[in-house]
Amino acid sequence: MSEAMPPQAPHISASSTSTRANRTGSWKYIRPRYRDGVAPCNARCPTGTDVEGYMNLLRQGRTADAVDLLLRENPMPAVTGRVCHHPCELVCNRAQLDDAVAVHLVERDLGDRILAAPPPSFARTREETVAVIGSGPAGLACAYHLARLGYPVTVFEAASRAGGMLRQGIPEYRLPRTVLDRQIEWLEGTGIDIRCDTRITIDDSDDLAGFAAVFVATGAHRSRPIGAQGEDGPRIIPGLEFLKAVNRGEPPQIGHRVVVVGGGNTAIDCARTALRLGASPVVVYRRTRNEMPAIAAEVDEAMREGIPFEFLAAPRAFHHIHGRLSGVECERMELGEPDASGRRRPVASAHGTFSILADTVLTAIGEDAGTEALPHGVATDDGRIVVDPLGATRAAGFWAGGDLTGLERTVADALGSGKVAAIGIDRALRAKRGEPVPVHDLAELRWSGGNMSMSRWRGDDPVRRTDPSNERIDFTALNPAHFTRVARQRETFTDALDFSEANRGLTALEALDEARRCFNCGVCNECELCLIMCPDVAITRRPEGTGFDIDLDYCKGCGVCAMECPRGAIVMTREGL
Amino acid sequence: MRKVIVGNHAVSLGVKLARCEVISAYPITPQTQVVEMLSEMCATGELDARFIKVESEHSAMAACVGASAAGARAFTATSSHGLVYMHEMLHWAAGGRLPIVMANVNRALGPGWNIWVDQSDSLSQRDTGWIQLYCETNQDVLDTTILAFRLAESVDVPVMVVLDAFYLSHTAEPVIIPEQALVDRFLPQRAARHRLDTAAPRAYGALVRPEDYMEMRWDQQLATTRAQTAFDDITDEWARLTGRAYGATEAYRTRNAELLLVTSGTITSTAREVVDARRAAGERVGLIKVKMFRPFPSVALRALLRGVPRVAVLDRNVSPGHSGIFAEEIRAALYDVACGERPNVFGYVLGLGGRDVTPAVINEVIDRTRAGTVAEREDLWVGVKA
Repeated sequence: MSEAMPPQAPHISASSTSTRANRTGSWKYIRPRYRDGVAPCNARCPTGTDVEGYMNLLRQGRTADAVDLLLRENPMPAVTGRVCHHPCELVCNRAQLDDAVAVHLVERDLGDRILAAPPPSFARTREETVAVIGSGPAGLACAYHLARLGYPVTVFEAASRAGGMLRQGIPEYRLPRTVLDRQIEWLEGTGIDIRCDTRITIDDSDDLAGFAAVFVATGAHRSRPIGAQGEDGPRIIPGLEFLKAVNRGEPPQIGHRVVVVGGGNTAIDCARTALRLGASPVVVYRRTRNEMPAIAAEVDEAMREGIPFEFLAAPRAFHHIHGRLSGVECERMELGEPDASGRRRPVASAHGTFSILADTVLTAIGEDAGTEALPHGVATDDGRIVVDPLGATRAAGFWAGGDLTGLERTVADALGSGKVAAIGIDRALRAKRGEPVPVHDLAELRWSGGNMSMSRWRGDDPVRRTDPSNERIDFTALNPAHFTRVARQRETFTDALDFSEANRGLTALEALDEARRCFNCGVCNECELCLIMCPDVAITRRPEGTGFDIDLDYCKGCGVCAMECPRGAIVMTREGL
Repeated sequence: MRKVIVGNHAVSLGVKLARCEVISAYPITPQTQVVEMLSEMCATGELDARFIKVESEHSAMAACVGASAAGARAFTATSSHGLVYMHEMLHWAAGGRLPIVMANVNRALGPGWNIWVDQSDSLSQRDTGWIQLYCETNQDVLDTTILAFRLAESVDVPVMVVLDAFYLSHTAEPVIIPEQALVDRFLPQRAARHRLDTAAPRAYGALVRPEDYMEMRWDQQLATTRAQTAFDDITDEWARLTGRAYGATEAYRTRNAELLLVTSGTITSTAREVVDARRAAGERVGLIKVKMFRPFPSVALRALLRGVPRVAVLDRNVSPGHSGIFAEEIRAALYDVACGERPNVFGYVLGLGGRDVTPAVINEVIDRTRAGTVAEREDLWVGVKA
C-alpha cells in the first residue's frame, strides 16, 4: 500500500534571498548609542575612587589592573577597607535587588595585596618641592598624589610616628598597627619623605622656606567642652585624649563605671576601647540612634558587644564627692524641629533629670581644629578654615584639607581633600611656570557631582569609556530583570574582646565573588546582551575590550538594546540622523 | 513490554520512542506529568533532545515553530488555557506547514475555574489548521502519539493528540510499550522538505501578496484533506506491525442498528458497555467512535450513518448559541444524504467540566432518543439541575 506522499515540498511563504536585501535601517528615526555613565558608588565616594571600574576589572580577572586603577585615586585601600564608613554602599543600586555590594571588603582585600607587594617608585619629574604638614590621611594622600605627579614631597609630623588620627585616634581593634605601619612604610617606599617629631607653627618656623607650596592638614584634636557643671573636675577626660593615651600604650585609670558622652565615632571608639580595658561603659547621647553620626556598623558592633546606650539624655552636671567623681546628672531630652544639620534638635523634655553612677566620664561631642600651621587671617571669625574647590586657602601658597577644613570628618573625606589639593597645587605650579594646563571645567573632574578623579585630571584614565557622560546611573535606568539575587559575602568577626582586629574580612576568593556581584552601573562591560537581543542582527563585536559596532544600515531604531541593557549603558538618540 | 502507566506518561513514552529532538512546554494541570517525565528524560540523557524552558505556552509553540522550521522533530503539550493562549502560534505552525506534534489534555475553560475534562479547549482551535486525533485509552494515547509524528511529517501539517483530563491523563492502565527498533522502522528520522539554513538565509513567514496567498491556503487544504487517506495507510501499517488497529472512525456493533450513538474520547468506553447491555436485551443499538476530528471524516460517517433512523451524538462540549460541536459537524456531513435515508440527529450536551457520564446517563440518552421522532432542539442538555 502506498502512502500518500506529497509530490513536492509544501507551499510556504519564504523569501528567495536573505533579509539582508531589506535595509531596515531606513525605517529609524532614533538610534542607539553606547554611552558610559557614572555608577552611584563612584559619585558618592568622598575619595573619588573608581569603584565600579576596579570591580569590573576584578570580574575580568585583571587583578593587577584593578590594583592600578584603585591606587590612582586612593593611596591606602588597606586602611579605608577597614575604617571607611563606605557611603558607596548606601547608594549601591544592588541594594534595591538584594544587598549592596560589600565594597569595603573587596577594597580591603585589594589593599592587603598591595601592601604585600613592593611599592611603586614614582619618578621625580618636577622641580618644585611641596611641604605637607600633618601625616594623617589628608596629608599622606596629598603627598602621595603629588609624588605620583612627579613632585618631591616632604611631610612634617609633630608626633613621633606618622599616621595622624589613624594612629592616635582609631583604636587598634579597628585598624591593626601592623597594617598601618606597613601602609606608612609602603608610602615612604614610593619616595615620600616623612619627618616625624617636627612640629611646624607658622610663627616660629623657617622649615617651610624653599617649598613652592604647602598643604596643611593638621586635623582637629581639641575636644569640645560639654558645657556642663563640674566639667573641670577629676576623671572627666576628653575622649580623644583617652584614645590617644591608649594608642600610645599608656591607658589611664578609668575605674569600672565609664560614661561616654556623644554619638560620633570617637564616642563609639571610646566605649569599645573602655570595654576592652575591662570597664563597663555606657554611651549617653542627647538624640536617638537615628541621628547618630557614628558609622552604623560600628554602633551595631558596640551593641553586639553588649554596650548599653542611653539615648535622649544630655549631661547637665558632673557630681564629685570628696574630690572624686560620683555620677553624671542627665536631663531627659526629646526631639524637636530639625536644625541646620537636618537632624532633629534635642530639646529638654518634661521628664526631668536622672543620674548615672560614674568612675570616669569620656567626653566625645566633637573636636575643633588647631590652626597653628596656617598663616594668620586664613581662618574665619568662627574658627573655620575656608578653602576653594581645589583646597587653596586665602593665603597664597597654602592649601589645606582633612579635618582642619572638612565638615565630614572621615578618613575617606580626608583622603579626597588631599587629592583635590594635589590637583590644585599641580595646576597652580604649572600655571606659574607658564606650562599649558589642561583647561578643565572642575565639574568635569568630578564623578557626576561627587569628588574628583585624578585620572581625569591627568587625562590618562586606563578604562576605555565609550562616549562617556557624567550622568549618574541610578536603579531606574537599569534593567534588573537580567540580574539574579546573590547573597552578599559576610565578613567574620572575632568574639575576643581584646585589641586584636575584630573584623576578619573576607578570603581572596570571597572578595572576588563579591566583586562579581557589582552591576557595573552605567558602564558597558561587554555582556553581549545587546548583541543577542538585536532583532536585526545589527550589532557586532569588535575585538575584546573595544566594544561593539552598530550597523546603521540594518538597525531600525527599535530600542530593544537600550531597553534590555542591564546597566543603562545604551541611550536612544536622534543624533546623526 | 507491558507497563501500568497513566495517560500522561503514555504521551511521554510515545514522544521518547518517536525520538523527538526538541521539546518546549509550559506546565499546566492536568498536563504537567507529560513534560515532567520528558524533562527528566532529557536531563538524564535517556532522550537525546533539547528541552527549552519557556515562560508561556505562546512561547512554547513559538520555540517548536523555530525548531521544526530548522528541521527538528518538535513536541509540546498543554491543556485548556494554555492551549487557547497558544492560539496565534497554532496558525503559525499550520500555515508554516510545520509537522509539530502536540498533546492536549482536554480540560474545561474558566471561569468558573475547572481542571476537569471538557472538549471545549481543543474544539475551539478547530480552524487553526491542526489535525486533531481523540484518544479512548492509554494504549490509544501512546500509539496515537507515534502515529501523529508519522502523519504530520507525511503531509506537513501539525497534529494535536487529544486525551481526556484525569480519565486518561491520571488514570493508570496496562499499556504495551513497543520496541524502539519497531518504532524506528515505522518512523524514520524526519526528512524536512524545507529547512532553515544559516548558509542560505531566508525570511520565513514573510509577507505574501493577495495574488499568491490563496495558493498557499489551497496547498494547505489539499495536504490536510490528504491526511485522511494518509492516516488510513499509516494506521494499516501500524496494525500490521503491532496488531493494534485504529481508524479515523470506528464502528462498534452497528449491524442492523436502529439507533447509533456517536462518541469521542473516554465516553466511548462507557458507551461500549451500555451498547453491549442493550444488545443483550435485544435492542438494535450500536456505536460510532470518531477519532479524527480534523480533517473531518465526512465521507466515512455518511457511509456509516446513512439509513439509520436515529443518531444520538454525545458532545462533551458546546458551541454557545448553537449546539454540541460534533453534532453540528455530523448534521452538516449528513445534509448530502438523500432525504429518505438521512437519520434524525439528536445532539446531546453532557459531561461538561468533568461531570461524570455514567452508564445511567448514556441509557437516559438512548431512552430520550428512542422516545422522540425528531429532536425538539439542536442542543439537548442532559442532567442540568433545575
